[in-house]
Amino acid sequence: MKIPVSWLREYVDVAATTAEIAERLSIATFELERISYRGVPDEDGNLGLFRVAQVLEAGKHPNADRLQLCTVDVGEPEPRQIVCGAWNFGAGATVAVALPGAVLPGGQTLGRAKLRGTVSDGMILSERELEIGPDHAGIIVLPRQWEPGTPLADVLPLGDEVIEAETGFNRPDLLSIYGIAREVAALFNGELRPMPGREPDRAAAPEPVDIRIEDTIGCPRYIGRVFRDARIGPSPEWIKARLTAAGMRPISNAVDVTNYVMLALGNPLHVFDHRTLAEGRIVVRRAAPGEELRTLDGEHRRLDPADLVIADAERAVALAGIMGGEETEVGDASADLLLEAANFEPVGIMRSSERLGLRTEGSNRWEKGVDPYLAEHAAIYATELLVDLTKAQYVGESDVQGDLPVRPVTRLRAERTDALCGIEIPVTEQHRILERLGFAVEEGGALVTVPTWRARDVTREVDAVEEVVRIHGLEHVPFTLPLRRDMFGRLSVEQRLRRVCEEVLVGAGLSEAYTPSLVADGAVRVENPMNVTMAALRTTLLDGLVESAQRNLNAGNERIALFEIARVYLASGAQLPEERLRLGGIVEGGFERAKGVLEALYDTLRVELRVERTQEPFLHPGKAARTNAGWLGELHPARLEGTWGVFELDLPTVFAAVRPVPLYEDVITYPPVRQDLAVVVAEDVPAGALVDAAREAAGPDLREARIFDVYRGAQVGKRKKSVAIALTFQSSERTMSDEDAAALRGRIVQALADSFGAELRT
Amino acid sequence: MGWETDYLSEAREAIVGARSETALEQARVKYLGRRSRLNEALRGAKDISVEERAELNRTKTQLEGVVATAREELRRATIEQALTKEQVDVTLPGLALERGHLHLITQIRREVEDVFVGLGYEIFDGPEVETTYYNFTALNTPEWHPSRSHGDTFYVADDLVLRTHTSPGQVRYMESHEPPVYMISLGRVYRRDTPDPTRYPIFHQVEGLAVDKGITLADLKGTLMYLSRALFGPDRKVRIRTSYFPFTEPSIEFDVSCFRCGQEGCPSCRYSGWLEMGGAGVVDPNVFGYVGYDPEEVSGFAFGLGLERIAMLRHGLPDLRELWENDLRLLRQF
Repeated sequence: MKIPVSWLREYVDVAATTAEIAERLSIATFELERISYRGVPDEDGNLGLFRVAQVLEAGKHPNADRLQLCTVDVGEPEPRQIVCGAWNFGAGATVAVALPGAVLPGGQTLGRAKLRGTVSDGMILSERELEIGPDHAGIIVLPRQWEPGTPLADVLPLGDEVIEAETGFNRPDLLSIYGIAREVAALFNGELRPMPGREPDRAAAPEPVDIRIEDTIGCPRYIGRVFRDARIGPSPEWIKARLTAAGMRPISNAVDVTNYVMLALGNPLHVFDHRTLAEGRIVVRRAAPGEELRTLDGEHRRLDPADLVIADAERAVALAGIMGGEETEVGDASADLLLEAANFEPVGIMRSSERLGLRTEGSNRWEKGVDPYLAEHAAIYATELLVDLTKAQYVGESDVQGDLPVRPVTRLRAERTDALCGIEIPVTEQHRILERLGFAVEEGGALVTVPTWRARDVTREVDAVEEVVRIHGLEHVPFTLPLRRDMFGRLSVEQRLRRVCEEVLVGAGLSEAYTPSLVADGAVRVENPMNVTMAALRTTLLDGLVESAQRNLNAGNERIALFEIARVYLASGAQLPEERLRLGGIVEGGFERAKGVLEALYDTLRVELRVERTQEPFLHPGKAARTNAGWLGELHPARLEGTWGVFELDLPTVFAAVRPVPLYEDVITYPPVRQDLAVVVAEDVPAGALVDAAREAAGPDLREARIFDVYRGAQVGKRKKSVAIALTFQSSERTMSDEDAAALRGRIVQALADSFGAELRT
Repeated sequence: MGWETDYLSEAREAIVGARSETALEQARVKYLGRRSRLNEALRGAKDISVEERAELNRTKTQLEGVVATAREELRRATIEQALTKEQVDVTLPGLALERGHLHLITQIRREVEDVFVGLGYEIFDGPEVETTYYNFTALNTPEWHPSRSHGDTFYVADDLVLRTHTSPGQVRYMESHEPPVYMISLGRVYRRDTPDPTRYPIFHQVEGLAVDKGITLADLKGTLMYLSRALFGPDRKVRIRTSYFPFTEPSIEFDVSCFRCGQEGCPSCRYSGWLEMGGAGVVDPNVFGYVGYDPEEVSGFAFGLGLERIAMLRHGLPDLRELWENDLRLLRQF
C-alpha cells in the first residue's frame, strides 16, 4: 500500500511529521517499507523555480523540424526563450515552466541548454516530467485563469511524500487511505474527518436499474447506479497525481474515479459502458460450464463454474471482483455508465484469482474481506466524483442485498488486558482507544460492539485486547521473564548423546555437513515438487554426502571427511512415515578409516562395535560390513573417484545400547598378566570370531583381547593366516598367578582349536 | 693445629674452580684422597685430641659436600651446553592433528538450546511429515488461508504436508503434557520458495512455547530480549511490532537493534537501525481449545525464528545456499 501523505492528511488532522506518523504506524499497524517521494523535491526554494507561464509566440525552430521555439512570459519583466519538443499548444496557451537551476523529479538539475544552436532558458513541462501521470506526448496546458508567474505549486500537485507499507492479511480496512487515517487518528488522538462523499442530486424521474443476484453467498450486496451523458476524457491533474503516487496508472476520468474511490475508502468499484450490457441488465452468478470472457488485459479466459461472474442478460461481462471484460469497457465514446459498488465473498475471489493467476488491486482487497457496509459510501463518493468530472447525469440506482452480517459484540474485561499483556492500562484509556477505532463501548464497559470494517478480524475478547495494547503502545510493555514454579530444563539423554557423537566425530577430523532432505526419489513422494531433483524425502544420507564429497573434490579441497546427523523417511504403513535419526559419514581413506572413526565413537559411548560381513550395491563387495544399527564399508569405486570409507547408523539403535550409568570395576588393585598368542587358522575365519571364542572360553578374567597382527606367507601355508592376539588377564578380586594365567590361556588355545582348527604358532 | 681453616678455603677454591670432570677429580684426590693432608692427619688420630678429630671430620664432610655440588653443577652445565645445539625453528608447524568443524547451523542450534535449557525449557521435536490438522487446523489456520495453498506448501497427500514450521510439534507436546509447558522445537521446515540468497525450500526454525498461569506479553518480550542478547551481544535492544498470525493474538514481530552499524543505518538493516528477527505472540485461545487447555486458567506465548537468518546476520553470510554445499573451505571458517 502506497499512502500519499497529502491525501492522508485530508482525512485526519494531526501535528505529527510524516516520519513520526510512519514510525508509529510501523509499530502499531503495519510493516513499513519506506518513505518515498513523488514529484518535485521541496527543498532549498526549489518549488519557486516552477511557475505558471503564458506562451507569447510559438513557431518552428529554425534548425529543427521537430522542435518549437517559444517566447514565454513567466511573470518577469522580460520574456524567456524556451525550446520545446511538444506541439499540442500554440501562442496564448497557459503552461507550466521550470526555470534553469530547478531540480526535477528524480534529482536532475535543469541547466540553461543550447538546443540546435538556440538557447533554451527553461523547460515547458509535461505530466511525466512532474510525475503527475504517464503522459509524455504533449505538455500540460493549464486553464487560462492563472496569471503568468503564479507559483506552479499553487496550481498543480508538485510533490508529495508517500508512505509505503505492507499491511496484514487480517486488515482489509488498511488497504485504504481513510482506513490508515483512522489508525493515525487513534494513535495520535487526532481528529478523524467524516468519510468523503456527498450524494449529488438524482434525476427527478429516476430510471429503474435491473440488478439480479443469483448467488447472495458470493455476492451479498450489489449497488448499481446509472449515469447518462457522461463526457469521457482525462482526469484533472490532482487525481492523476494521487493515483500515480499511490502506484496506479491514470486512464480516463470514469475509470480513475473508481480507482480513486477504491484507494480512498477500500471498496473496489467497476464501471461498465451501460449501452453494451444486453438489456442493460446486471446478473451476478457463477460461470456457466464452458463460458468464456476476454478480460481487460486482453487475455481470453476460459471460466470455471466456481468462478463468480458479472453477466448481462446474455453473457459474462466481468470476473467479479477481479477484472472487467473488454466488450463492456468504458471508452472515449461511452456516454452511459453503470457504476458497480458491490461486496464479494473473499474465499471464492481468492480461489478464482489463484486459479487464473490473476491478481489485481481489486482481488487483493476482496480476498481479505471488505466491509459489506462500505459499498454505499463508495457508491456515494464515486457518484459525486463522476458527476463532477464527467458532467454526467445520475439517473437511477438499485441496491440489492442478501444477508449482511451483524456487528459482533464481545465482552472486554479491562483486567484481562492487563493479565495478558503484563501492563496496566486504565480502563478509561482502554475504552477511549476502542472508541477512537470505531468500536462502541457499552455503558459500564463490559461489552464492546465491533465496527463493520473489523467484523471479520475482531470477534473475541482477546481480539479487543490486541487492539487496546497495540494502540496504547507495544513499546510500553515491559521486559519480564515468566515466574516459573514447576519446571526445570535439561537436554534429554538422546540430545546429550547426539552432542557426544558430534564432538567425537569433529575430534576425529570430520566436519559436519547439512545436505537437502528432498531428493529425486524415495519412499515418501511430494505431490507438488519444485523440480524433479527435489521430489521425494530421502531414505539414506549417503547420496547427499557423496555429492558433497564430490563437490569438495572438484574444489580441490584436501583431507575430505564429512558427517551428517539428520532424518531419513521410511514407509511405515501408518499415516505418517517413519522418521529415523541417522548418522552418516564419508572419509577419504577407505574401510579402515571408517572403521576407526566408528570405533572411536563406540568407544566413547562405551558400546561394543560388532560387525559382520555384508553386501550392499553401493559398497565395495569385499569391504562391506553391517552392525545392528547400520552399515560401514568402502564406497564402491564406481560411485566416486578415490578410496572412501562410508557409514550410516540409526542413532536411536546405537543409543539404546548405551549404559546410562557405568558401574565401577576394580582395574587397579591387582596386577594384570599380559601374554601374546598367535594361532594359524584358515583364511576365511574372521579374526573377530577368534576374539569372541577366546572371551567365551576365558570368562571375565580375560580383561582385554586385542588383535595386533595378521600374517600370511610361506611359513603358515596356503589359504591360511596367522593371527596374533594380545591377551590381558586380570582379576578384580585377587592377584592372578602365572599358573592361573596359563590355565586360562590353555582353555583359549583349546577352544580355538576345537572351533576353528587353530594351531598354536610357535 | 690451625691449618684446617686455610686448608678448607684452599680446597674449596680448587674444587669450585674446576672446569672439567678431570680437574675436579684431581682436586678431590689432592684434598680428600687417601694421601691428602686431611686424611693423613685423621690417620694419625691417636696423636690428636677428640675435639681435633671431630673438627677434622667436620672439615672432611664439608669438603665432600662441596665436591658433590660441584660435580652436579658441572653435569648440568654439560647438558645445558648440549641443549643449546638442539635449536628448532619454532615457527615451523607442529605435528598435524586433524580436527573437524561443527556446521554453523548446529553451533547456533546449540546456543539457542543452551539459552532455553538455562531458562528451564525442554527441547522437543515432532515429525517433519505432518498432518494438515497439526500443521494448520490445530493452529487455528482457516481452511482458506493462503499458507495452505499448493503454491506455498509441499503436499505428500491431501491431508499430509511437509511441515511449514515447527509449531505442530508444540501442539503434539501440549496434547501429551499438562501445563506448565516450557519447550522449544528446532528442526527442518519446508516451504515452496524458489532458492535465492536469502531463501531455500528447506530451512531450520526454532520455535518456543511457554504456557503457565499468568504468562504475559511482557514475559514474551523479556524472553526475546534475553535470547537476542545471548545471540547478538549484551547491548542489544529489542522492539516488538504488531503483526498477524492465526495462532497468536496479539501477534507481534520482533526486531533486534542492528549490531552491524550500531543503529547508524546500513544495508543489513535497510537503514532502519533494526533487524527483523521473527514472529511471536500470545497463544490464541482457539489453539488451547484444540489441546484441551482452559484459556481462563492458563495463558502462553509462542515465538519462532529462522536459524539461517541468525547465521546470515551474525556472521555476515551473503548467501544461505552455501550452507547446503558443505565446501570444507566454508565449514572450516566456523
